Amino acid sequence: MLVYSIRRLLAAIPVLLAASMFVFLLVDISGDPVAELIFQAEATGEPLSEEAQQEIAARLYHDRSMPERYWLWLTGWPGSAHNGDIGLIRGEFGPSTRGTAFDIGSDIASRLATTLRLVGLATLLGIVLGIITGVISAVRQYSKTDHIITFIGFLSLSMPVFWFGVLIKEVGVSINNAIGFRIFYTIGSQSPVREGYSAWDNFTDIAGHLILPTITLALVGYAVFSRFQRASMLEVLGSDYVRLARAKGLRNGTVMRRHALRTALIPVLTLVTIGIAGSIDGAVLTETVFQWQGLGRYFVDALGRTDTFAVMGFLMLSGTLVVVANLIADLLYAVLDPRIRYD
Amino acid sequence: MRIRRRLAGTVAAGAAMALVLSACATDGDDEGSGPSRGFEDCLDDPDNCNAGDREEGGTMTWTLDQAPDGFFPWSPEGGSVYTLQAINGILPYVGQFLPSGDWKPNMDLLATEPELVSSDPVTVTFDIRDEAVWDDGTPITADDFQLTWMMSASEDEGHCEGCRPRSTASADSLESVEGSNDGKTVTITYKDGVAAPEWFATMFSAHGILGGVAPRHYGEQNGFDLDDPEGRGEYFEFLNDNAPEFSGGPYLIESFDIDNQVVKVPNPEWYGEEAPTLERLVVRFLTDEDTWIPALQNDELHGASPAGYAEDVIRQVQDLDGVRVHIGAGPSWEHLDMNMDNQWLGEHPELREAIFVAVDASDIAERNFGSLFPDYQLRTNHVHSETSEWHVDHLEGTNQGTGDIELAREILEAAGFEGMDEGPGGLTYDGETVGPFRLRSTSAPARATAQQLIQGYLAEIGIEANIEPTDDLGGTLVAQDFDIMQFGWSGSPLFTGAGSQYWLTGSGSNFGNYSNDEVDALVEQELQAESLEESAQLHDQMMEIVMADAYVLPLYDSPVYIFVTEEYVNVRDNANSSLRGLYEHHMWGLAVE
Repeated sequence: MLVYSIRRLLAAIPVLLAASMFVFLLVDISGDPVAELIFQAEATGEPLSEEAQQEIAARLYHDRSMPERYWLWLTGWPGSAHNGDIGLIRGEFGPSTRGTAFDIGSDIASRLATTLRLVGLATLLGIVLGIITGVISAVRQYSKTDHIITFIGFLSLSMPVFWFGVLIKEVGVSINNAIGFRIFYTIGSQSPVREGYSAWDNFTDIAGHLILPTITLALVGYAVFSRFQRASMLEVLGSDYVRLARAKGLRNGTVMRRHALRTALIPVLTLVTIGIAGSIDGAVLTETVFQWQGLGRYFVDALGRTDTFAVMGFLMLSGTLVVVANLIADLLYAVLDPRIRYD
Repeated sequence: MRIRRRLAGTVAAGAAMALVLSACATDGDDEGSGPSRGFEDCLDDPDNCNAGDREEGGTMTWTLDQAPDGFFPWSPEGGSVYTLQAINGILPYVGQFLPSGDWKPNMDLLATEPELVSSDPVTVTFDIRDEAVWDDGTPITADDFQLTWMMSASEDEGHCEGCRPRSTASADSLESVEGSNDGKTVTITYKDGVAAPEWFATMFSAHGILGGVAPRHYGEQNGFDLDDPEGRGEYFEFLNDNAPEFSGGPYLIESFDIDNQVVKVPNPEWYGEEAPTLERLVVRFLTDEDTWIPALQNDELHGASPAGYAEDVIRQVQDLDGVRVHIGAGPSWEHLDMNMDNQWLGEHPELREAIFVAVDASDIAERNFGSLFPDYQLRTNHVHSETSEWHVDHLEGTNQGTGDIELAREILEAAGFEGMDEGPGGLTYDGETVGPFRLRSTSAPARATAQQLIQGYLAEIGIEANIEPTDDLGGTLVAQDFDIMQFGWSGSPLFTGAGSQYWLTGSGSNFGNYSNDEVDALVEQELQAESLEESAQLHDQMMEIVMADAYVLPLYDSPVYIFVTEEYVNVRDNANSSLRGLYEHHMWGLAVE
């Protein structure tokens, strides 16, 4: 197991290296942050001075060639990189177009907590609902209940997040209006002014901001987990050992709980790790729709202002999470399923 | 059983449809669906419309459609209209343009109107009111003006080491900024030979790179040696990296979360005639315009004057009860630019002319804005909008922008082109196919529509144009990566020097690499113009040449909109200011019931 884990970790290195090249090339050729700042300044009616343009180009390493810039971004070597603010392997993501006061690494770290709050809750909700409905659906295969759950599952799967987000906001606002009190919020992860808030006020404020985006993000996860759980459960229910258990006269509940569900959960649980990584990408849309200041919106905003190192930082983090999640999923699978053992 | 299943399916589909419809439904009616619902008086009285008495208290939430990129608009990275809007109300300034286009000296700050005391060299004085103080009681004096000037100048001037102002032109044109009368009189002297017809709008106005004047005492309090150029450079970075904790304006910043919002509260030491009545003004940065309508309905948002024109949002706002909305010409105008380095476009002025004649500016504007804003304004002058006293129609008589396909074909035929009737790709010259051309712009809805229409016009004269949207407008322009480009310039009532920006050979903003010796000579003359009349006349001469050269085709003034819920008064748009609706936000307040 240890050898397998080490082998998988080593295999991830070239994957991440290839990802870094791909990400860098894609982002670097898609936008020029220096030109964008020049043009932004025009909008204020005050063109950037030649001095300022050169200063920006140097600060953003756009006075270097593209290969040199990539090498610097990856390694931070040679030491001529200004202020030591670049070099992925040293934990430096590069300078932000927003200015010297902004550190992309710190920005990403602070946003990660916000995103994880949303993703964690949404994944939990998606899993619980998905497993419950998946099991019910499988146990009552082809019944009316199964059809309804299947319909809801496919509806959830096919509804775009940006559309469902708007829809659920309407519902939330309608409820607020109906009761004459604001329970649900449609923008942000908390109110901008919380002066005089008690701990309870803070809790309800955060919860009020959390409910609608959590449901939105949970929807896609729920649909996937539900369908996967149904298929997994059906496979187990049709297996010899379940039939044997029934033939031995065990009660249906016992067969389901001890024999069928436990086995059927294994592939679903391994899916959870990948699901969490995927949800972080899914949060891009949800955070935009609800204007949450998490990683997703950070990425969208960075794209908008051609903050290339910030975009690359997000993409690399995202790629790393997917690689790590896959690794964990494989290891988890090996741990949970006694039939599978690696050495 | 089958019937019941079908019924269930129908009910489910019906329920889903109801959900869809509920998302689209609004609670308004058709009342006042025009472009100025609730702002009707702005058409006749743009400076005082939507006015009303205010009651004390209340919190108002305004939104910007983009987050600021810094805390201070001084530096290249912080210098966006969003930063200016975010910190508006903090820096004292000497004056600004009103929605009507009139210049208004800031008589909260000034004791008397600014005075031009000499025109050789140009010398201007400002008298500051004794009552004008920073929020800690420190008087606002000439020292603040002098420091702001020194930190805005280029390093060669020797005033500052390490300052990184995004534009130095205004500061570098000054010889000195001095104080007298206990610092309450500021005397600004321009360098010898510098003509300053717009002397009233100096770099210390709301339209300067800073949007006002920075405090000197605050720097000293924070330990910077402001008598030393190096110390000024350090103070520059300090201001750049930290949210302002001072104020010489009507508001103080209570908190500044650069990703989410800035929260402003009244400055207790505000010396102006009208004090803010709002307890708090929250300016949230909501970049996704689709989020605004639910937030409005949920009382999480009360107004905005966004930079873009989003027809679906405007329609939804118009359908909401209790929200005022106004559409009007905005500060920027759209135009088509040629790449003069393109083999065909650069060498064949008749081809450029024919293309511009084939383009129907009115059709583009009508299709984009006709349904919601039928009063859209076609642009006929590169520098002055239709409402400016300096406006002259430079398109008249050129036939450019008229969509006259027949005339365009005649122009091409006379120049030796063939194949105009053979559809896109049919046009030839000396047997060689002309084009295809890369038609570029951003993919904003109005521009996407315009691009498709332009593609169609060009097809009618045998030209193949391939639309290539870009997400990187600045990069595309700077790299000159286009054949024909559509984009917008920000207009301003301040116009001296515009020619050097747009058309001077080698100018960084002359993206199509246009060059004309006559224009260059006129630009040089214009930079020495001593009066606005002279400057405007020289600009007129430049525009005549540029139009004859068919380099830039003005299309229309881009419309913008503003909306605000009805409980707030004194909110109105200002297309003459980067601050837009926020231009006098200390006057905003809850309407007296």
